Amino acid sequence: MTTMDRPDAPPVRTHKENRKWVGQSIRRVEDPKFLRGRGGYIGDMTVPGMLHAAVLRSPHAHARITGIDAAEALAAPGVHAVITGAQAAQLCDPLPDFGPDPAKHTWRCLAVDKVRYVGEGVAVVVADSRYLAEDALALIDVEYEPLPAVVDPERALADGAPLVHDDLGSNCAYERTFDFGDVERDFAEADVIVTDRLRWHRSGGQPLETVGALADFDHATGELTVHTNSLSFTSYLFMVAGTMKIPANKLDIRPVPAGGSFGSKLFATKPAVIAGMCSREVGHPVQYLEDRVDNISNCDHHGSDRVYDVRLAMMRDGTIRGIDIDTVEDYGAYIQFGVGHHGNALAQVVGPYAMTSVRYRVRAAMTNKNQQGAYRGFGSEVNNWMLEQMVDKAARELDLDPVAIRRQNFIREFPHFIPTGNVYDSGDYDGVLDKALELSDYKHWRAEQAKAREEGRCIGIGLITAQERSVFSATEFWFWFDEPGAPVTSMPESVTLKVDATGGITATLYSCAFWGNSPETMVAQLVAEEFDCDPHDVAIVYQGSKNGLPATGPGGSRTTVMLAGAVEGATAKIKAKALRAAAHLLEANPDDMEWVDGGFQVKGVPEQRKSLADIAVMLHLFKHSFPEDMESGLEDSKVFDHPYTTMPSADRKDLGVFYPFMGHACHVPVVEVDLETGSVSFLAYAAVHDCGTLVNPRSLAGHIVGGTAQGIGTALYEEFVYDDDGQLLTSSYLDYLIPSAMEVPELKIGHHETPSPYTLHGIKGGGEGGRMMAPAAINVAVNDALAHLGVRVTELPITPDRLRAAIRAAKSRESG
Amino acid sequence: MDRHDVTLTVNGRTSTVSVEPRKLLVDVLREDLGLTGTHVGCEHGVCGTCTVLRDGESIRSCTTFAVQVDGAEIRTVEGLAKGAELHPLQDEFWDKQGLQCGYCTPGMLMRACEIIEGNPDVTHDQVREGIASNLCRCTGYQFITEAVCAAAARMKADSAETTGAQA
Amino acid sequence: MKPPPFQYAAPTSVAEAVELLGAHADDDARALAGGQSLVPLMNFRLAQPAYLIDLRRIEELTRIRTEGDTLVIGAMVRQSHAEHAPEIAVGAPLLAEALGYVAHPPIRNSGTVGGSIAHADPAAELPAVVLALDAELVLAGLGGTRTVAAADFFTGPFSTAIGSGEILTEVRIPRRAGGHAFVEFARTHGNFALVGVAAVVELDGGTVARASIALSGVAPVPVRATAAEEALTGTVPDDASIRAAVDAAVAGLSPAGDVHGGRETRTDIARSYLRRGIELALSRAGDRR
Ligand SMILES: Cc1cc2nc3c(=O)[nH]c(=O)nc-3n(C[C@H](O)[C@H](O)[C@H](O)COP(=O)(O)OP(=O)(O)OC[C@H]3O[C@@H](n4cnc5c(N)ncnc54)[C@H](O)[C@@H]3O)c2cc1C
Ligand code: FES
Ligand code: FES
Repeated sequence: MTTMDRPDAPPVRTHKENRKWVGQSIRRVEDPKFLRGRGGYIGDMTVPGMLHAAVLRSPHAHARITGIDAAEALAAPGVHAVITGAQAAQLCDPLPDFGPDPAKHTWRCLAVDKVRYVGEGVAVVVADSRYLAEDALALIDVEYEPLPAVVDPERALADGAPLVHDDLGSNCAYERTFDFGDVERDFAEADVIVTDRLRWHRSGGQPLETVGALADFDHATGELTVHTNSLSFTSYLFMVAGTMKIPANKLDIRPVPAGGSFGSKLFATKPAVIAGMCSREVGHPVQYLEDRVDNISNCDHHGSDRVYDVRLAMMRDGTIRGIDIDTVEDYGAYIQFGVGHHGNALAQVVGPYAMTSVRYRVRAAMTNKNQQGAYRGFGSEVNNWMLEQMVDKAARELDLDPVAIRRQNFIREFPHFIPTGNVYDSGDYDGVLDKALELSDYKHWRAEQAKAREEGRCIGIGLITAQERSVFSATEFWFWFDEPGAPVTSMPESVTLKVDATGGITATLYSCAFWGNSPETMVAQLVAEEFDCDPHDVAIVYQGSKNGLPATGPGGSRTTVMLAGAVEGATAKIKAKALRAAAHLLEANPDDMEWVDGGFQVKGVPEQRKSLADIAVMLHLFKHSFPEDMESGLEDSKVFDHPYTTMPSADRKDLGVFYPFMGHACHVPVVEVDLETGSVSFLAYAAVHDCGTLVNPRSLAGHIVGGTAQGIGTALYEEFVYDDDGQLLTSSYLDYLIPSAMEVPELKIGHHETPSPYTLHGIKGGGEGGRMMAPAAINVAVNDALAHLGVRVTELPITPDRLRAAIRAAKSRESG
Repeated sequence: MDRHDVTLTVNGRTSTVSVEPRKLLVDVLREDLGLTGTHVGCEHGVCGTCTVLRDGESIRSCTTFAVQVDGAEIRTVEGLAKGAELHPLQDEFWDKQGLQCGYCTPGMLMRACEIIEGNPDVTHDQVREGIASNLCRCTGYQFITEAVCAAAARMKADSAETTGAQA
Repeated sequence: MKPPPFQYAAPTSVAEAVELLGAHADDDARALAGGQSLVPLMNFRLAQPAYLIDLRRIEELTRIRTEGDTLVIGAMVRQSHAEHAPEIAVGAPLLAEALGYVAHPPIRNSGTVGGSIAHADPAAELPAVVLALDAELVLAGLGGTRTVAAADFFTGPFSTAIGSGEILTEVRIPRRAGGHAFVEFARTHGNFALVGVAAVVELDGGTVARASIALSGVAPVPVRATAAEEALTGTVPDDASIRAAVDAAVAGLSPAGDVHGGRETRTDIARSYLRRGIELALSRAGDRR
């Protein structure tokens, strides 16, 4: 064990009882505009004089660009400009990059000397319409000198592989091994070591709306205004200004509602930079919207793509001692977020199990594919899958019951520090499991399974118990290095509350764009809880970056917890002023007053009372009724910093606390496998989640179902497939298969509430849970269905090809 | 450039626009008629985000040239609500949280509209299969299905009431 | 993803249409039916015809009629209309069943019966159906009309016997006795199938008198499972004879693989779905006895 002195945890809170609004499934305040087709998405925006951009994509996985002739395109009807990669490199600096050593794998908005994946942009056309822009793309003549492509991550790391980045000198962008706890001892003392090799292929968020930006560069002021459906990391938007080579205070990035993100619009700066660069060149506002092929092939947000070699140190009685993980991750051609995905994994690497040591080796391979970014789970969903496959395999090898082995290893005392140093704030894993067993009718399905087996049918039950970390912190991006380039520690979120002269409340959000999550509803419910008003009466404003307070934005299931903290802080300031004002007006002692039902009154004397509206009108309009030092108005802000981050140890044997609010879930899919076709269908699906105190249970349920649907895609259907030459074989929705209503079963959803001791109301984040569980659960279910045949699938997605191959192999083993 | 006059009756209003034959219906709706409620998700017919009704039948407006529907009656999401009053489908989507990001919602609503209008007694399973023509990346379809079923029941009850009142 | 420019005309008669096609043959003129294959291809700029002749205003192509024992379906009959047309339910229930598998209702609301056949996607349902039913395709050109048997119509992936300057006007389907079945395996609902099976089996006192079986998705064109047809005919079908018929058919297959299923998987699925199709057709044939 590390003997790090752990800083104190934040104070344990007592939570308000009898909440009025928090916990209610109110109708979302965002919805009416969307229901009426007035969402105001980026593609819906037009401004006078607006032009349209389209990007020419590379048809090659790896090739040197030896020449570009754009003359004919430039002369085409309606064309205002053609900018090639080489020209763009003069106009803009490289894109913001949090990767290990950006200078060694420089990432730009358009490729310069060579293209590194199919779909990489090589030139952009600006024209009167998107139709004309695409006409002109066809006229650009690019000369390529094809180079051998490297596609498989392990081959990329082998000697002699073609180099994706010559400056890097190899295809390994990062490598390190971490030991947490006494790995050697746990493995030496183990009765059994369970090993496996697992492969998770890449899928992606694929929101139905692509990424887009509308940029307007004003040559008079030197200001660039960009509307975009990508935001987040708002505190880091100065990096975009750097790319654009303009002062940070001349950049305003304004959020518009996003038609889904699932991570894939996180800090998606490329479209904004392309639009901004074009606008500055042509002197008009320019809109650039990815089309679906752009988004599939060039979004910079493919999901995890990992090979695992894992060893699990087990005692014969089922006790899990430690885990040794060796993973190679295929990052594609660039590595904008570094290996943050593995920080996510390390936040909950041991799952709900009380093991004492972890060895974690990670190697990041560069290949000729679109790069990784974020996809709901950000790498921790892959860890959940890996761990649950290992526990499942251990249960089979030791002939233990899959429920019992999990229960036996559950962590039961909180707060609990896992070997990596992260904390699990609270939990009740037995409670969740019990609920799931009941909700899923587990016993019934075990009986059905036995019956079906007699008829030759293969039914499988996939019970998994796994973690759902929430509210990430900045250290995750730099504890990888002994000497990090930018050891930043701030990840705040801000809210301004304004009470107008009529008592109406407006909340201003910074960076928390609408991404399909419900920031408006969450804030409205939280404000209503504080002020005893109707949440539908709370107005919400999204502020652009220029006038914004420090903020980070959605990601890592942080929105609700962080906004709650900010709302609480701003409320406290407003109420303090309102109390003083009310006491003054009532000539009472503030200490004798209390907040009751939307106003301040003298304790026990309801007639001696001022409502918030009474106070607000006085504060706004009757300055001279108050002491000299009281300012007019009733408005205040709170910059709420991450509530629980601690620093990593210098030797990196303890990474500190960086993902403290730990949710948990148990998923129980019941599947049937058609042996003849290798297809998998659902007979039932139950899911119980514990995300702390619920704000809007139906919204959370919606996220669980939606995330599970995406997890079903990851488990069975979705894969960005590159062939051996690096050609992308799934560049349309005919080939990249997103589950429809017929592939997604009805879910039975259960909630369990173990409040966090450290957050307002005990809220934890819960936006990613479904997808963090479903792939693991479905894989376990499929293996459960086929175990008696000796079939075990270790690769996702479980396609007919993969499943049939496994079944055929088992059959030939049997007969051979 | 070769242009054609196309006359469309959209949500009850007839207008004629002069367009290139290649212009997709969805772009005419969004750009020429200012009806941006109909979105595009894939522009190759798979996702259903662009679904509108042509003479009462759902179609993909991203794989339809506007010239192909010259003379047709088109209904879009903008035609569902009557002023302040939401269509029962919209209201039930709101109540059941049948949307998250809202991007698929207009197409989903129009498809649901066709399903319900074609079969007031539509069952839960039929709704699920029916909406499988349209992708939603957010909701996992469960609350959409609930919303459509609830709207169907409500519309049936409403029409029974109206018929009852008339009788 | 926007289509390239083209010239457009929407004639009102077959004569006018073929005249326009002939006149613009040099411009890569093409017929436009429902557009549900052509427009996506144009959006991807994989097809760039310079002239499109929209057949939607030609009344006579939108009719379904019965001539004696033959069902005649106009090329421009929309798939969703055909799916629910009483004449087709009676005259070619196999076609009606297959139509339910073609894409999704909103696509079938525009896509046409003729368009699907003319497009000749190797994975499509309708080409396999017309092949199984020994249908005839009527083509009109400047020189008049000609009729091509389905067996001679499909010449390769996305290519047919339709000559330049010709359009498909009618599909003629002879009425068939017996039980029918259309079954297919697709990875997701409404997507193109990996394998489709169209079968019609006629029983005579428990013995198979005639079997017609066609497969989609396993070859560059839809294929008849002749070996299975022969193996079944004359037998009193049971599990063993069905298995023998399926094995005979599968032995002759060598499907090309793609991202959704390699050669072996497609063969496995063909084996499974042939059996399912034959069993379903037989059970329905039995019901009718
Ligand atoms: C998302 C999606 C999923 C689909 N899934 C399936 C599926 O599962 N199974 C399936 O079979 N199809 C599927 N399709 C294709 C669909 O069925 C099309 O409707 C059909 O293939 C073409 O019919 P159409 O009337 O739309 O023809 P068009 O797209 O208008 O034309 C297709 C081609 O045929 C030619 N053509 C059309 N009519 C004639 C004619 N009368 N004479 C001469 N040439 C003609 C055209 O010139 C063109 O080359 C799918 C389409 C989409 C967008
Ligand atoms: S945008 Fe039309 S179907 Fe996807
Ligand atoms: S609500 Fe986001 S795609 Fe359906």
